[in-house]
Amino acid sequence: MSFASDRLEGAPSVWRRLIARQEVAVLVCLLALLVFFSVSAENFLSTRNITNVLGQASLALIAGIGCAVVFISGEVDISIGSLLATVAVPLIVVMNDTNSLFLGISAALVVGLAVGMINGFLCAYVGLNSLIVTLGMMFVLRGGVYLYTGQRAIADEAGLDSFIALSDGRLFDVLPYSAVIAIVLLAAFAYVLRYRPFGRQVYAVGGNSEVARLAGYDVRRIKFACFVISSLLATCSGIILAARVGSAQHIAGLNFEFQVVAATVLGGVSLSGGIGSLGGMALGVLILQFLSNGLRSLDLPTEWQLVITGLIIIAAVSLDEVKRRRAHGD
Amino acid sequence: MHDDLALFAEEPPMAIDIAVPALEMRGIGKRFPGVLALEAVDLTLAPGKVHALMGENGAGKSTLIKILAGVYQSDAGTMRIHGRDVAIKSPRDSLRQGIKVVFQEIALIDEFSVAENIFLEGHPTDRFGTIDWRKIRTDCADLFERIGFAIDPAARTGSLPVSQQQMVEIARALAHQASIVVMDEPTSSLTPKEVKLLFTIIRRLTALGIAVLYVSHKLDEVFEIADTVTVLRDGRHISTRPIGEHTDDSLIQDMIGRRIVDLFPRQRGPAASRVALSVEGLSTRKLHDVSFEARAGEVVGFFGLMGAGRTELAKAIVGYDPIRAGTIMVDGQWMTPHNTAVGVGLGIGLLSEDRKVEGLMGELPVYQNASLASLGRFAAHGFVDAGKERQAVQTYVERFRIKTPSLFQKVKNLSGGNQQKVLLSRWLMLGLKVIVVDEPTRGIDVGAKSEIFGLIDELAGAGLAVVMMTSEMPELLGLSDRVVVLCEGRVTASMSREEATQEKILNAAIGSQGRASHEFRV
Repeated sequence: MSFASDRLEGAPSVWRRLIARQEVAVLVCLLALLVFFSVSAENFLSTRNITNVLGQASLALIAGIGCAVVFISGEVDISIGSLLATVAVPLIVVMNDTNSLFLGISAALVVGLAVGMINGFLCAYVGLNSLIVTLGMMFVLRGGVYLYTGQRAIADEAGLDSFIALSDGRLFDVLPYSAVIAIVLLAAFAYVLRYRPFGRQVYAVGGNSEVARLAGYDVRRIKFACFVISSLLATCSGIILAARVGSAQHIAGLNFEFQVVAATVLGGVSLSGGIGSLGGMALGVLILQFLSNGLRSLDLPTEWQLVITGLIIIAAVSLDEVKRRRAHGD
Repeated sequence: MHDDLALFAEEPPMAIDIAVPALEMRGIGKRFPGVLALEAVDLTLAPGKVHALMGENGAGKSTLIKILAGVYQSDAGTMRIHGRDVAIKSPRDSLRQGIKVVFQEIALIDEFSVAENIFLEGHPTDRFGTIDWRKIRTDCADLFERIGFAIDPAARTGSLPVSQQQMVEIARALAHQASIVVMDEPTSSLTPKEVKLLFTIIRRLTALGIAVLYVSHKLDEVFEIADTVTVLRDGRHISTRPIGEHTDDSLIQDMIGRRIVDLFPRQRGPAASRVALSVEGLSTRKLHDVSFEARAGEVVGFFGLMGAGRTELAKAIVGYDPIRAGTIMVDGQWMTPHNTAVGVGLGIGLLSEDRKVEGLMGELPVYQNASLASLGRFAAHGFVDAGKERQAVQTYVERFRIKTPSLFQKVKNLSGGNQQKVLLSRWLMLGLKVIVVDEPTRGIDVGAKSEIFGLIDELAGAGLAVVMMTSEMPELLGLSDRVVVLCEGRVTASMSREEATQEKILNAAIGSQGRASHEFRV
C-alpha cells in the first residue's frame, strides 16, 4: 500500500457505499412486498389500509427506537413486551381515580422510568448480562401484572376524549395520531443518534467500549441511559396500546419484544453493537407489519404468518452474522 | 472547540512555563497478581522536549503509560503536571490534564469515518449542541493537508490498512489541546515514509512547547528524535541521561543488563534429522504461502512485528483456525486443517499467547487444568480415576518445579510463570510431538522467564519440535535453532542460529528488503 498514491486511500465510490448499507436492501425488500400485495390482494393498496397499517406499526416503531438504541450500545432489552402491559395498570388506575390523562401518563412514565433505571443499573453499573437481566425483568413484570389484575382486564372508566383520540383520532382525518407520534419520535431520535454527541457516544460504546473509555466516555452512564430510553419508549407504546384496547390487560404485549427484536435485526441493527440505524429498524417493522396485513388480505390462515415471520427472523439473523464476518474480514 | 487546530498556529496553544516540568512522576509502583510490574519509578518530562522511554518487552513501559492514561491506577507514588499535584483515576481524568496517549493497539472505532475518529474525544458542536459535521470534515481535511497526510476523511476507519490507522491515531493527538503527548511504539506498523512524517509532526509538537514521551525499543529512532532517554528494566528505573551521553552499546547494556548468553543457558544437544512438522504453502486470510519444517528436538523461532501474522500462523498450524491453501504434516501424517481434535490426536498442540482466555480455566484447581487434555487416559468405564489423575499431575508439578500450595489450588492464584508451566504440563502429559508456543513469556517476571526458557530448552532436549512465536529479540536469538521472519503474512527470511543477527532479522521484519523503500534502513 503506497502512501502517496493519487487516489485517497479507502475512498470507495458513493454507489458502493450505498449498496453496502443494509437499509437499502431492506428498502428494496419492502418495496417488492408492497408491489406484490398491491397486485395480488384486492384491498391492499388503499389510503385507508396503508394508514391503518402505519397505525398498527406505531407500537413497534416507538418501542423499536429504544430496542435499536440499546442494540447499538451493545446490549439487549427484552423486557419491553411485559412493560407494555405493566405501565397500562398505573395509567388506567390513576386515570379512573383522577379523571386526568396527564396524571395517568405521568404515573405510567414513572413506572417505566423505574424499570429502565433498574435494568440500566444492573446491566451497566453492576455489569450483569443484559439478556438475562431483562429476561428476568420480563417475568417479574408479567407476573406482577397477573397478580395485580387477577388476570382480568381493568377497564377505562374515565372515558376521556383525549385518551380515546390516541387510538381513534387521525391527523387531518388521514394519519392516526399514534403514527404521527411514532414519526415524530423517530425523527427526534434519528437526530439524536446522528447529531448529538450522546448519540455518537452510543455508537462508539457499542462499536468498541474500550476505545470509548479511552476517549474519556463514561461507558456505564451511556449504557444506563440507553436502558432508560428503551423503557420510556416502551411505556409510550404501552399507553397507546391501552388506549386502543380501552383497558389494562394482563396479556397485553405478549411476545411483543420478539417482534420488535426481529424487526430491528431485520433492519440491519447489529446484535453485536455499533452498527445500524433507526431508518433500518423502521423499515424492518414495516416489512413485518405489511407482511402480516398482506397475508391477511390474501386470506391465508394466520398460522402462515407465524411461519413466514419466523423464517424472516432467521434470515435476518443470518444476515447479521454475514455482516459480522465481513466486518472481521473473513 | 473553536481552536482545535491551534497546534498549528504560530503561537503555542497555551501558556506553558518552560521552567516547570510538564510531568513529574515520583516513586510510581504497580503490582498485578503474581507480577511486580513497576517499582519506585521516577520520570520527569520537560516542556518542548522529546523524552524516550526504553526497555525490553515486559520492562514496564506499557504499564507506566497506562497509568499515565488512567487505564491503570498506580499503587504507589505521586504525579505532578505543570507543577500541580494530580490524581489520575480514569482516562477522562488523563485527557482533562492535557495528556494524550497514542496507544500501540489502535484505539479507533472501526465503523466511524476517519474524520469522526479524529474528533472522538469531543465532537465539535454549535451553540445548540448539534454536531457540526461539516466542521469535522473540513477541520480533519485541513489537519491532514497541513501535516501532509493523504487519507480520505470520509473513509470508514476499519477499511484502512493498519499503518494508516496508526497515522490516524497519531493525527488524533494533534486535534486536541494536549500539553503532554505520549506515543507507545508509534512506528511498529508504519512504513519508512510514514515514520519520517511522524518525526516531522513530533518536531512541530515540541516547537510549541509540548512534552513528548516517546516509547520505543528501536535504537536508531531514539537517537534521531529524543533529547533524553530513560531506561526501564524489570519494572525498575535504570537510568535517565541526555541522548548525547549514550552510545548504542551503553543503551543496550542498560536495557538488557545481562548478556543474552547468560539469560539462556542452553543445555540441549543437536536436533535429530526426523522432520516432526512440515508446513507447505500455507495460506489463510492473513498468511500467504508460508512453508517451513521443524525437526524433532529443534526450536524454530518465528519473529515478526505487530500484525505480521505470528499468532495467525500458530493458530492455523494447530488446527484452530481455517486455512485457504497448503498442507500441514505432523510426524509424516497429513493433518486435517481447522480441526484441533485431529491435531491433538496427531500430537500437535498450542500454548496460547492469551493464557487467561485460551488456555486456563482460572476457577478450576491446578490438577484439573493440567489433566484436561488427557482425561481419556485416566478414565475407566466413563469415569475419571481421580487418584491416577492427581498422581500423574503430581509428577509434572515436581518435574517443572511448579510453585503451588497444593494440587487443589485455583490456577488463577498462581503466578504467570507457574500458570505457563501448568499449561505445558497439560500438553506434555498428552505426549505431544510438536508444540507451538505463542509469546511464551508475555506478562511473566524476568526471573520466571529464564525458567520458562529452561523448560522450552528441556522440551526440545526431550525430542519435541518446538515452534515459537515471539516478538522479543533476546528470546528469539537465545532459544532458536532456526529463525524465520514474517512480514505481513509472508516469510521474508529464514536463517540458521549462526547466521542470525538482530539487524538481518529486523530488516526482514520491516520488509525493507523485498518491498517498497530502499531509502530507509533500521
